[in-house]
Amino acid sequence: MRREGRSRWWIAAVLVALGIAGCGSDSEGGGGARTLNWYVFNEPGGAYEQAVKTCNESARGRYRINYVRLPTDANQQRELIVRRLAAKDSDIDIIGMDVIWTAEFAEAGWIKPWTGARQRAARAGRLAGPLKTVEYDGRTWAAPFTTNTQLLWFNKDKVPTPPAGITWDELIDRAAKAGTGIEVQGNQYEGLTVWVNALIAGAGGEIVGEQGQDRVGPTAETAARIVHKLATSRAAPPGLATNKEDEARLGFESGRSSYQINYTFIYASAAELPGGFQKKIGWARYPRTVADRPSRPPIGGINLGVGAYSKNPDLAFDAAQCLARPENQLVASEKGGLPPTTEAVYDDPKLQKAFPFADLLRESIEAGAPRPVTPAYSDISLAIQRTFHPPDEIDPDEVVSKLRERIEKAGEGKIF
Amino acid sequence: MSERRRSERRLAWMLCAPAVIAMLIVTGYPIGYAVWLSLQDYDLRFPDDREFVGLSNYADVLTSSIWWGDVWNTTIITVASVSIELVLGMAIALIMHRAIFGRGAVRASVLIPYGIVTVVAAFGWRYAFDPASGFVQNLPLISDTAAPLTERGGSLAVIVLTEVWKTTPFMALLLLAGLALVPDELHEAAKVDGAGPVQRFFRITLPLMKPAILVALLFRTLDAFRVFDTVYIQTAGANGTETVSILGYQVLINRVNLGVGSAVSVLIFLAVILIATFFVRGLGASTARQRGEAA
Amino acid sequence: MLRSSREAALWSIGILVVLLYALIPVLWILSLSLKPADQLGDRRFVPQEFSFENYETIFNTETFTRALVNSVGIAGLATLISILLAAMAAYALARLDFAGKALILSGALAVAMFPPISIVGSLFNIWREVGLYDTWPGLIIPYMTFTLPLAIYTLSAFFREIPWELEQAAQVDGATPFQAFRKVIVPLAAPGVFTSAILVFIFAWNDFIFANTLTSTDEARTVPAALAFFTGGSQFEQPIGAISAASIVVTIPIIVMVLIFQRRIVAGLTAGAVKG
Repeated sequence: MRREGRSRWWIAAVLVALGIAGCGSDSEGGGGARTLNWYVFNEPGGAYEQAVKTCNESARGRYRINYVRLPTDANQQRELIVRRLAAKDSDIDIIGMDVIWTAEFAEAGWIKPWTGARQRAARAGRLAGPLKTVEYDGRTWAAPFTTNTQLLWFNKDKVPTPPAGITWDELIDRAAKAGTGIEVQGNQYEGLTVWVNALIAGAGGEIVGEQGQDRVGPTAETAARIVHKLATSRAAPPGLATNKEDEARLGFESGRSSYQINYTFIYASAAELPGGFQKKIGWARYPRTVADRPSRPPIGGINLGVGAYSKNPDLAFDAAQCLARPENQLVASEKGGLPPTTEAVYDDPKLQKAFPFADLLRESIEAGAPRPVTPAYSDISLAIQRTFHPPDEIDPDEVVSKLRERIEKAGEGKIF
Repeated sequence: MSERRRSERRLAWMLCAPAVIAMLIVTGYPIGYAVWLSLQDYDLRFPDDREFVGLSNYADVLTSSIWWGDVWNTTIITVASVSIELVLGMAIALIMHRAIFGRGAVRASVLIPYGIVTVVAAFGWRYAFDPASGFVQNLPLISDTAAPLTERGGSLAVIVLTEVWKTTPFMALLLLAGLALVPDELHEAAKVDGAGPVQRFFRITLPLMKPAILVALLFRTLDAFRVFDTVYIQTAGANGTETVSILGYQVLINRVNLGVGSAVSVLIFLAVILIATFFVRGLGASTARQRGEAA
Repeated sequence: MLRSSREAALWSIGILVVLLYALIPVLWILSLSLKPADQLGDRRFVPQEFSFENYETIFNTETFTRALVNSVGIAGLATLISILLAAMAAYALARLDFAGKALILSGALAVAMFPPISIVGSLFNIWREVGLYDTWPGLIIPYMTFTLPLAIYTLSAFFREIPWELEQAAQVDGATPFQAFRKVIVPLAAPGVFTSAILVFIFAWNDFIFANTLTSTDEARTVPAALAFFTGGSQFEQPIGAISAASIVVTIPIIVMVLIFQRRIVAGLTAGAVKG
């Protein structure tokens, strides 16, 4: 009897202690402000830090955003976030989502939809390309924040005539003739899917519909012929099959290749190179797949979603909305080289200064082809990567049947 | 007497119980749970579709060309690295066994690869062969633009090299312990009979070391079959280097498909048991024969 | 002993080859870690200039410093627990006579052969339900799958070498059982326990697959997993210099331990396998 009484006291004491500790951690950081964790890739230019600071100040103590950095590699970012969301982690309030995650996260119930006034605010003034990446099943699942696209960059010292409106075929022939390379992302990872998707869209094709239904057609063969042609031509850089964005940038900077297909970050990072290298960089729109159709450049970027298990979803929506505001987009483009999703920001003189190619950028994003919007996206992407890698061993005649078979298996959750 | 033996036995079991129970819980429970998961259609992205599907996940894995391709890749890596290690490890063991001086230096230096974190070793070799920053292509006789990690043969070679570098020391130490069990008198006697060093190695040393060699091979084969860290860091399974462990990781962790992924896990477990049984049979046979000869 | 200077030269070459073999990759990473950022691509084995900027970077990065603390803590606790449990079992295996000895030893061997990929999926699913995901215990428990068998093997091999009669002799000389244990057995057993602990620690320190799948933040991520998650100068840049510097930091303590205790480590590594 007495013993039981004593143990009750102990339990009560522990509970009180836990309660105090719990309150303590809740009220941490600026007098009663709720902490909201924002999971997003590390932006070393300081743009995200500044956006967080601006929003924390304007929140006047209602919330405090905590910027949690994810790794460089997009596959790793997704793996980490997916594992935590599958573990129903309530620490995840705001997610800096790669544009390709929307359907998967929405279908699994890991993010909350944006509705009513919030939805209108999230969509207001945004470019059409980025908007498509936040839609799934007729609803809006995130606020477009930054976007991205690839341009055809060239070394003006070595390329006398700008390759405007050029097709991939002509580009490869031209580079091979001049004895120089074309840097592009040929590693077996998401970057390869980006390339293949842009090629297929550029020929007017599609890979899958929203429900994952197979739409693979002869355009996949056209894409495979281009990838294979480059990989087996003299214009292929030595590490094509392992090239990611950064290897491509280094190959271009070293002078090995006079052309590269890459995102806008390469322009900002060239500013630090000796010899005024940045001034030598020329740009043109993404190459065409076929001569009679304008190209469909890839669309990347980050959307802001709200975690389904967040303890403070209302505050998280407010904070995400604040982070995605045009002034923060401008900071992201100035400091991080990340293009904005709000159309009006492109007219800002500061942006024109950060991106001398701002008009081409807007044009590319407007014409851009999003990657397939389907909950099985990561499987589809894996199927594309397996089918198109290694680039020099693709058999274009078999690509359509192989890709079809893999996509079908991916849709059934099988091994492919 | 029997009372004492009984109490001794009870004490022994009490002392062993915590460790035994801990081992059973940390391995037995998860593997049993994996079997249970492998019988379900269970994808964390579609949690509502969870249902019991019997053996169909196994049928899916066993009929896919990816699985068999990965088994083949794993086998190539295992056989290549273990056989190179055996030869190299034997050479190092002989140097250490016969060395007149510098024994300590050799022993210390071979332990270094053994102590290094596998991930670090994998990065080290990956960077060494990187076409943009590696020193290997800068060496004479090697093509300036060689990029082994961009194609299958080269990638497999670098993976095997990393595995061999890292684990040969372990092989060498096990073999050295086996060498120490070979009596010197036999060598002396054979020398008197006029046998050369090569003959003595193949006629005396090798047969007597057979159990030690089999133990070393068993350890390393099972270890190599599980290869994950090196492949994950160096190619992540690209260029046709995907191993069964990488496939398991990809299905379980990247695709969060716990049903199919668990089927892959259980199949890998069964493969390991199969290999172990094979070696233990061989080992039992060889030790039995030796005992028979000795008797 | 030296039969000829030719033989001595041959041995020297053999030893030199082994030394080079063991050290080249380590020296290469050391070289990378000391190169300034703009010379990382110079492909030279020896840096032209030395710089500690990569070391400064990693020690100012929370991802790395937290991972280092996690690695030391998790590997240390896993070692402690498995040595405690294994020491009891190893004592029984070495000293007491009972049926089932062979069963326990072969069972431990079987567990040591266990492929980690076979259980990461289950553990992930169980851990996320019970809240052990991304925690220290969430890694320490699966580490038992390889630390326990290894500890049992090496410890029972060491314990078999201990002259236990001395304990009785001390008791005959008037020492209490506890005194006999503390003054006689503990000093005899300590070196073996210590060596086993080092071996177990190296194994736990090396783990990548559990750390990579069962953690997701700085809370519990260990260095090998953190290395794979380092972030570069921009969204797309690869942090070669930082990874190399971090690699050297986690390698040095192990090399120092291995060099100091090499003789005993060799004994521990081989004893279990050959006698078992």
